Amino acid sequence: MEKVVLIKVIKNMQNAHDVIKKNNVNVLGSCAKTLLLAHGFGCDQNMWRFMLPAITPHYKVVLFDYVGSGKSDIAHYDQARYCSLEGYAQDILDICEALELHDVIFVGHSVSSMIGLIASIQKPMLFSQLVMICPSPCFLNFKPDYIGGFDKADLEELIDLMDKNYIGWANYLAPLVMGSNNSEKLVGELSGSFCSTDPLVAKTFARATFFSDYRHLLKEAKHPVLLFQSSEDALASTDIGDYMTEQLPQAKLQLVEAQEHCLHMTHSDIINQGLRDYLD
Amino acid sequence: MTNKQQATELAVPTPDAFQSGALVTDKNRRIIYANAYFSDELNWDLKTLIGRSSDDLFTYSSKIFCESYLMPLLLHEKKCEEMQLALLDGNGKRVPIIINAKMDDHGNIYWSFFNASKRDQLYEELIEVRKKLEAQAKVLQSLSSTDELTGLMNRREVNLRAPEVINQAKRYVHTITLLMIDIDYFKKINDSYGHLEGDRVLKELGLRLKTFGRQTDLIARFGGEEFIMLLPDTDATDAKLFAQRLHKLMLEIEVNNTPVTISIGITMSDGSQDLEDLTKQADIALYKAKNNGRNRTEFYQET
Repeated sequence: MEKVVLIKVIKNMQNAHDVIKKNNVNVLGSCAKTLLLAHGFGCDQNMWRFMLPAITPHYKVVLFDYVGSGKSDIAHYDQARYCSLEGYAQDILDICEALELHDVIFVGHSVSSMIGLIASIQKPMLFSQLVMICPSPCFLNFKPDYIGGFDKADLEELIDLMDKNYIGWANYLAPLVMGSNNSEKLVGELSGSFCSTDPLVAKTFARATFFSDYRHLLKEAKHPVLLFQSSEDALASTDIGDYMTEQLPQAKLQLVEAQEHCLHMTHSDIINQGLRDYLD
Repeated sequence: MTNKQQATELAVPTPDAFQSGALVTDKNRRIIYANAYFSDELNWDLKTLIGRSSDDLFTYSSKIFCESYLMPLLLHEKKCEEMQLALLDGNGKRVPIIINAKMDDHGNIYWSFFNASKRDQLYEELIEVRKKLEAQAKVLQSLSSTDELTGLMNRREVNLRAPEVINQAKRYVHTITLLMIDIDYFKKINDSYGHLEGDRVLKELGLRLKTFGRQTDLIARFGGEEFIMLLPDTDATDAKLFAQRLHKLMLEIEVNNTPVTISIGITMSDGSQDLEDLTKQADIALYKAKNNGRNRTEFYQET
């Protein structure tokens, strides 16, 4: 019996260690309430740095990179898993389990808002609230009922554009190297390490993000949601914010006078204040 | 114009003199300056351009790219270099461009745009070539890892993939099972009914092993009439059951109205042995099964 318990403890420790490395998990602050900050498509956890000074004294802040982004361990990348947002949601659940988090206040930027929603519906017990910064449940247009902002052709062009930008990053032919298991070599860097992403990984994330439609999930939300919406966001119009507020069972919308999609970077003071007001 | 005047004019050239786009936007993304390149080459009316949002200059796909990469990068590192996007000219025509940009402490952005039409064409061609190469590589990869007759993995592929399964067993403290499966009296089938019939039996068995196994199992034709299966997270009880079912499954494959039988040798491991050790052990068990009358399973036992 003792041996079984011991094996279980070892397994858990091993698992926690693996997940921390796999998702480059960083924990800041030690207060009781946990904020889990999830970056959006394109960059990594560094996006949150503008918000951190104001929140770390009041919360336990958990930062991470999705597998394939930032300094995550790309050896764990599995294309089949990450071709839909459910795969990324599993990263969130893995992290919650490994760190034994509960009552998590999940904060997601852009696509991570929906990833968090998926995770919170799958395992409601782990979460207490969701905060969405510039979210969209669906970027595609379904005229005339729903205007996500983009036609399929625009999004195909995006994939094309990503390709063209990766060509210049010297690893363009890397995915063709046969039998190469050393996928760390494939990591290309746009600049520094902030937006470092493997071309295949980035395109897969782009497809999962921009071609998906999770509108049906909004009604299923199990937690109260705070939405931050830009008055002028090139990726999510104010109509989308209104639509989400209407569909989510329990939502509060805060409109921020701004032209940005990265409000947590450009308007971190407003986001921090809104967060504190809402949570306290 | 005197020589002196000319020299002064050359000494202070304006941004209008450059054959590239120069643009300044304020922290609200409003265009506060555009050089003559925008009117001369991009057909914009400078008067209507000033005051507009820089978002209006980009195609939809470029907008997403801007928000996902360019803006975060500018906010994070204050500059970005060599990004290829598509601009809309004053007539709504797409123009491929390379962007370099810099952000100052007030959030003003200084943009430089360079025409990239020819580079874009080259990239289009490269993308096409890569697509073709990718398709070819896929075919080659599958050919080099597959046993042609049965469609299962070949020995080479299982040698490549087994270490990961074995390591996982060690990491996550679970037991793996290796089965060595050999068709009984296969030589007789070949000799009496011909190689084609022998091939058919191999194919049928391969197909059944494939549908019978789980997605995480490694199933391969190891050589001749020998197959191996490496089952992660499988203990002795599971393995026994598994082998029983395999024997039963063989009733479906007949030669001359008689079911073909197999002998199975099994070994278990906690991940501390390598594939070579495990196959040796399973082989010993398999020979025991053969010696004990075939159509049966034996487990490897350490002596």
